[in-house]
Amino acid sequence: MRKITNRAFSLLLIAALVICGMGVYLMNYIDKGEDWAKYFSRVNSGSSGVLMDRNGQVLAAFGKGVENFSQDDEARVANYHVTGDYWGRTGAGILSRYWSGMQDFSLLTGMTKSENSVLPLSIDTRLNKVIYKALLAQDPEARGMMMLCNYKTGEMLGLVSVPSLDPMAENAAPPEGAYINRCLSASFIPGSIFKLITAAAAYEQIGDLDERTFYCDHEYDIAGVTITCTGTHYEQTFEQALSNSCNCAFAQIAVMLGQDTMVDYVTRYGFLDKQSLSGISTVAGSYPTDFVGDPELAWSGIGQSTDLVCPYAMLRFLCAVANSGQLVEPSLILTEDAPKSNTYMEAATAERLKQMMNFNVVDHYNGEENFPGLRLCAKTGTAELGDGNSHAWFVGFLADDKHPYAFVTLIERGGYGLSTAGPIANEVLQWAVENIEPTLSDKG
Amino acid sequence: MEALTSYALATSRFLLILLSLLILVRCLRSLLSEKYESEIWGHLSCQGESYPLTHWENLIGRSLSADVRLCYPSISRSHAVLYRNDKGIWKICDIFSKSGVWVNGVKVGSGGGQVRNGDVINLGGLVLRFHDITAADRQENEAVRTSAGSKVSPTVTLLELTGFQLMLMFQHSLSAGEDYARAILLAFVALIALQWCCYSALRLMDRSGFEVETLAFYLTSLGMSVAASSTPEDMYKQILLTLVAVALFLLSGWWLRSLRRTMALRLPVAALALALLAVNVVFSDAVLGARNWLDFAGYSFQPSELVKAAYIYAGASTLDRLFQRRNLYGFIGFSAVCVMALALIGDFGTALVFFVTFLVISYMRSGSFATVFLAVSGAGLAGFLAVTVKPYIAQRFATWGHAWEDVYGAGFQQTRAMSAAASGGLTGKGAGFGWLDDIFAANTDMVFAVVCEELGLIIGLCMVSAMLVMAFFAVRSARHGRSAYYPIAACAAMALLLTQMALNVFGSLDLLPFTGVTFPFVSKGGTSLISCWLLMAFVKSADNRRGSSFAVSTARRTGRREEEEEEPQDETPEQEIDIAQGNPYISRQEDWYEEDY
Repeated sequence: MRKITNRAFSLLLIAALVICGMGVYLMNYIDKGEDWAKYFSRVNSGSSGVLMDRNGQVLAAFGKGVENFSQDDEARVANYHVTGDYWGRTGAGILSRYWSGMQDFSLLTGMTKSENSVLPLSIDTRLNKVIYKALLAQDPEARGMMMLCNYKTGEMLGLVSVPSLDPMAENAAPPEGAYINRCLSASFIPGSIFKLITAAAAYEQIGDLDERTFYCDHEYDIAGVTITCTGTHYEQTFEQALSNSCNCAFAQIAVMLGQDTMVDYVTRYGFLDKQSLSGISTVAGSYPTDFVGDPELAWSGIGQSTDLVCPYAMLRFLCAVANSGQLVEPSLILTEDAPKSNTYMEAATAERLKQMMNFNVVDHYNGEENFPGLRLCAKTGTAELGDGNSHAWFVGFLADDKHPYAFVTLIERGGYGLSTAGPIANEVLQWAVENIEPTLSDKG
Repeated sequence: MEALTSYALATSRFLLILLSLLILVRCLRSLLSEKYESEIWGHLSCQGESYPLTHWENLIGRSLSADVRLCYPSISRSHAVLYRNDKGIWKICDIFSKSGVWVNGVKVGSGGGQVRNGDVINLGGLVLRFHDITAADRQENEAVRTSAGSKVSPTVTLLELTGFQLMLMFQHSLSAGEDYARAILLAFVALIALQWCCYSALRLMDRSGFEVETLAFYLTSLGMSVAASSTPEDMYKQILLTLVAVALFLLSGWWLRSLRRTMALRLPVAALALALLAVNVVFSDAVLGARNWLDFAGYSFQPSELVKAAYIYAGASTLDRLFQRRNLYGFIGFSAVCVMALALIGDFGTALVFFVTFLVISYMRSGSFATVFLAVSGAGLAGFLAVTVKPYIAQRFATWGHAWEDVYGAGFQQTRAMSAAASGGLTGKGAGFGWLDDIFAANTDMVFAVVCEELGLIIGLCMVSAMLVMAFFAVRSARHGRSAYYPIAACAAMALLLTQMALNVFGSLDLLPFTGVTFPFVSKGGTSLISCWLLMAFVKSADNRRGSSFAVSTARRTGRREEEEEEPQDETPEQEIDIAQGNPYISRQEDWYEEDY
């Protein structure tokens, strides 16, 4: 009998495994319990709350078993990539990230019911509707995005990605790619807008830059590889080279700077990292960081090669340039706190870029006619995709203390930056300048 | 008024936790502090020393684990088994010893020969005299033993459990809709009445060990609470099923008291198990991949649940049979058929539960790790085949550990279970106040999360601990089981329940693949509840503290019967027997003993 009863301890082995398993669960619970709890319990906990835009318009509301959005059809579609939805179909959205934050959780008492919590957003629904219409004005099936941000306060005023969808239209199949947030969750070939980064690096690293000239005869040969330009610009200064968006000049500059310096600047400006917009993670961009030869380096300096830029990273760059090198980190949530800034680039560099971008508009983009009344600093981008198509970029900001708006506009496969994306930016900026009240901090 | 209600609810939530902890601590204290003393059934005397026979089945041999340890070189490590039946008739059998067994000079083989009081047993030259115990001696021995419940009063524990149930009832009365409040109230009252009836009846029978029953009733109360939250319309059915389950528990406990009738029915029960599985394979309907439901006259039940009890009933064995390989092979064959049938049905969770139970039984029977390893590798291969052949099994393995990556698809149930469980915190939202119970199969597959959400993590942990404490009881009482059958059955039953619990809890928490087996006692399901209570009968049958278990016959009763049935003792010759008769080794070895010992 003792023989048998001694073996009863095999049962204790199973018991020990169960205890270990419970230990693992408890550790997970302490570690991730809050995230778990908030994920599904928000609408199930009996709590209620609303998501509002900066003007107090309701974007989404939830209560026990109720998950609603704005009653305004257009607003729902235009705001879709801001709000996201309750079901996590689009990864980057305020709902996925913040619904849970509108309730309290503690390991001791679990979820606590919080009633009528309100989350005010910096977004202006009216502006988003204008952006949405403008993006689709030329081509109703266009794919693209536009963001508009107050670079002094960091408030994100407009954020639209197309194609979009109505989160309350349950059965309609959404357009392909509608769930992708092109502002935060995608990165694109930057093309000429990347020359701004190369220019910033050149300004800081090449001492006698303004004394130099750059020659362009439409083609530039480097180690047997030919880089072609959009025009033939002959002898030009640095400033002219940027406004000409001269590939030959910037290819030379990139090679002059060297790959290490280029990588250093791309990294320093945060283009290779995932950024976070109010806790919503964005995608990282890319740039050739492993050694490549001069031809590839030359291409990468003009925004081709393997360069990819997330529109949101570009917006941060523009905000910093506009704000004398000081970046106020953009935010989707409206807070009472005074905006905090940190040094993103040297003030002198920012000033110089600002001048040059203004010169672009005045000298090259026919600013008087195309952007009437706006003190615009901008850069176009026509990013070659290699199949005859190109992304149309138009990025910049208003050098206007009353209307301190930075923006990024992109139409995928939209053709030329100036002719496709330019008018969209103009329409949105005109509306914004006219209709958006300067914020408290602006008045001060 | 509302403030008062919420204050009362908060208070009752803390009381629930307090009572839960008290119940567990008291059961654990009883486990640790109660004396488990051996029963004495006879003596063997040899060269002036007396060896008590503390079981119905005693292994005699040289090895450390022998019950009667005789350190003589002529004795094999496992030499003989001396065993008695319910009627008090003793037999001895040779288990392939090197030097043989003689009773009164007559050689005994593996079939066994009867031994009477005063008989001389010769083990390879070593002479022992057997003394049976008289009914009077036995009563005297029993009087000295400590009775169960003497350290930790079971009445108080049961009162605490009643308090716990009243608190649950109170919380449900706040959360339940008007249509069901009455039924829920009635269900808890019925449960309380049932457990007190059960307890009173056992006290009348002089039985005072009630820890295992208390824990089982504790878990059943939690099950009742889950049922009230999820399917309040079925409360009457739940009451009825609980009644049937407890009645069957008492009945099967009573049945197990007699080893003879228990053993006699093993083969029919094995046949019944196979028949149930066969019917299941042929007739059942597929519900969510697994075809483990059988509809019969308007009722649906899961035959595989009943097979669990039958499997253990047929799989456990007495000591004398354990040494016959043939029996082990028969058992392995039987197990293989059961597991394969379950795999055919598609109930891989249950198949796995059976397999672990098989491992425990076969290890307890054979003590051989080789057998266990062989079985594990065989099963590994079978499992691999299952994963490749059945796509939904592969799917569950693929999801395992990645539930949060597909919260609207493969991880649907696990993520909701984890979210709800965490949202309860330590103290819970209150019985009936959760949301998880609206999700399909929450009251079976995700029941741990339902309890955590509504009653809090502490009670969730208490629920798991209650099962563990039961397992410790099984291990503790295993030492003193009369026949090897009882400890094997008790440990196998607890191994089965623990495995099932682990698969249920960890499956729903994404720590193991999601298998959809039930949490013993707590998950909703009639057949499952009945099966758990049936398995409890095995645990009770191994508990040999004095007056502890109704599933073990007491001294008084056995004594009376022994007096009636025992054969007259006076026939036994008291004169010296020629011990050398028929034993060629004896003369040589006797000298040798004296030199060494």
